[in-house]
Amino acid sequence: MTPDDLKQVFERAHFIRAFEQEIAAAADAGEVPGLVHLCLGAELFETMLCAQLDGPRDQVTGSHRSHGLALAMGADAEQVAAEILGRAGGLSEGLGGTQHLLAPERGFLTSNGIVGGQVPLAAGAALSAKTLGTGGIAVAVMGDGASNQGAVFETMNLAVSLKLPVLFVIENNGFGQSTSALYATGGISPIARARAFGLAASTVDGGDISGLERTLERLVAWVRETGSPALVEASVPRLGGHYHGEAETYRSANEARPDPLDRFEDWLIRQGNSAEGCHRRKVRAREQARGAVERAIALPEPAPETLEVWSTRLSPVRAGGAA
Amino acid sequence: MREMSIRDALNEALFDLMAADPTVVVIGEDIAGGAGLAGGSELGGVFGVTRGLAAEFGKGRVIDTPISEAAFVGMATGAAMTGLKPVVELMFCDFLGVAFDQIMNQAAKARFLSGGRLKLPMVIRTTMGAGDGSGAMHSQSLHGLLLQVPGLYIACPSTPADAAGLLKAALMADEPVVMFEHKGLYGRTGPVQDKLPPVPLGKGRLVHEGDSITIVATGAMVPAAEAAATSLTAEGVLVDLIDPRTIVPLDIELITDSLRKTGRLLVVDEGTAFGGFADALVSTICRHDFCLLKVAPVTLTPPHTPVPYARTCEGAWVPHTAGIVAAALELMEA
Repeated sequence: MTPDDLKQVFERAHFIRAFEQEIAAAADAGEVPGLVHLCLGAELFETMLCAQLDGPRDQVTGSHRSHGLALAMGADAEQVAAEILGRAGGLSEGLGGTQHLLAPERGFLTSNGIVGGQVPLAAGAALSAKTLGTGGIAVAVMGDGASNQGAVFETMNLAVSLKLPVLFVIENNGFGQSTSALYATGGISPIARARAFGLAASTVDGGDISGLERTLERLVAWVRETGSPALVEASVPRLGGHYHGEAETYRSANEARPDPLDRFEDWLIRQGNSAEGCHRRKVRAREQARGAVERAIALPEPAPETLEVWSTRLSPVRAGGAA
Repeated sequence: MREMSIRDALNEALFDLMAADPTVVVIGEDIAGGAGLAGGSELGGVFGVTRGLAAEFGKGRVIDTPISEAAFVGMATGAAMTGLKPVVELMFCDFLGVAFDQIMNQAAKARFLSGGRLKLPMVIRTTMGAGDGSGAMHSQSLHGLLLQVPGLYIACPSTPADAAGLLKAALMADEPVVMFEHKGLYGRTGPVQDKLPPVPLGKGRLVHEGDSITIVATGAMVPAAEAAATSLTAEGVLVDLIDPRTIVPLDIELITDSLRKTGRLLVVDEGTAFGGFADALVSTICRHDFCLLKVAPVTLTPPHTPVPYARTCEGAWVPHTAGIVAAALELMEA
């Protein structure tokens, strides 16, 4: 990546940070129907990951914590915000919501309400890319909690068996809700498991910009060029609660939570960029995020007819009409 | 017109579908067979429905999988979301359990959650039915279980023409379809049109015409009820026998039109006695068309137990022709 590319990554990651903060504020103001799982701490990793991808030829599936991934793949921020807020004009007219963001047009196939449920779907996107010869790859992004789900193991094995171009990504933030990954996860590490399945696997520090660039570029290129699966485990801090507003009584007050965005800013300044330049980018990102969320808040909630279309279409009892 | 078995009709329909559209892929366990082995001839699926496909279309489109139903059903779902038309073989519907998240949460909801932007042209072919000594985990009829999941279409063919036609229609639909093929019917022969035309989802079939009683039957209960209808005719009871072919969407008009003539409803189904398809249909008719009924409707289903193994017990468990005749005569007396 060029120095300019990296400055754009900085602004993009800060845009996602600011977007999540605006969503949190909207939730506090009662504008969000349910709980939101914010990606605070993973913004830089997700921006760097998606910078390697080429949607919609490449397709990403993500977990319940996927606001950042959808934005990083280029989904329209106002539409994403409107979906999270349950507004007409959302990606799916507010029918899906925060855990069900779909922007396949941009390469973000779907997020998911079931921990690990998105992983087999990515194998399907990989099968399509392989069968149709598009040159695309699929990326299944999950947390460390999902890495203990059976469907995830099945899919890793299936991807090796069928030789599918899919990159498995474990964002290890150390928590499955309130349960430590050290408690929940047997064995040495997720990448040791992946290697046992025959996957190429690497680990990366989600706040180390050079390591991210090197590792993600190498693994994405490897999956694309060989058509074979690989796995990357990224350590990312969870800077907030499992969901926004959670008390997090189970976390220690002494726990270090180094912010990848601060580390990246320090790095940029060490590389000769000005603190003022970084500041300007952060201000611009915040303004853009605030604008997108404010416009979404101003949208109306969907009319009841939005649902009636579906209750008619999916009605099990259909007088006279064949499908 | 020609005669063929359900097994052969499904096989020919798969050949037709794969030849007509290069995005059709077939996915499942042992569907080509012998993957990784040096032996020569393919298995073609444990019921022989997919035989010959791999030789014709290659193993890139006829994909043998590990025994990982959650992964390959989910893979098929993701593939349907991104441009393929997968036909998945789930060897027994008893295996729905291990893949259920991918069916209930992923395949069934993707259309809705995308606001209709995603289409899911996919079909999960699976088998159902007791009667061959396969025991409690290879003999169930779980079509009713899926009734409670909005977003799925459910087909239960009972003839070769319907099996082939529903399979073709399933891949033309935007919603994912689960097709329950009764193991005991694979060898059942019947007339088919030369080109195995699609059968629209949501259109039932009047199997036998009469004005004394309406019998709605699914899967292997259709031939059992046909035999019952013949016996009942000899006793002066004329049966309107309806095979709904798809239980979602359900052709309710065909059933209510029949009830306008007969006023008597008997539902025969191999699913559960409580909360299954039979209950759902009776409930629907009672709620919306109670005035059409002269007497209380009756259901004939297996008892609410797992499928037993011993021949005597399994034989008693499955509804059979004599039981249908008896239930119909009792309903005529009511």
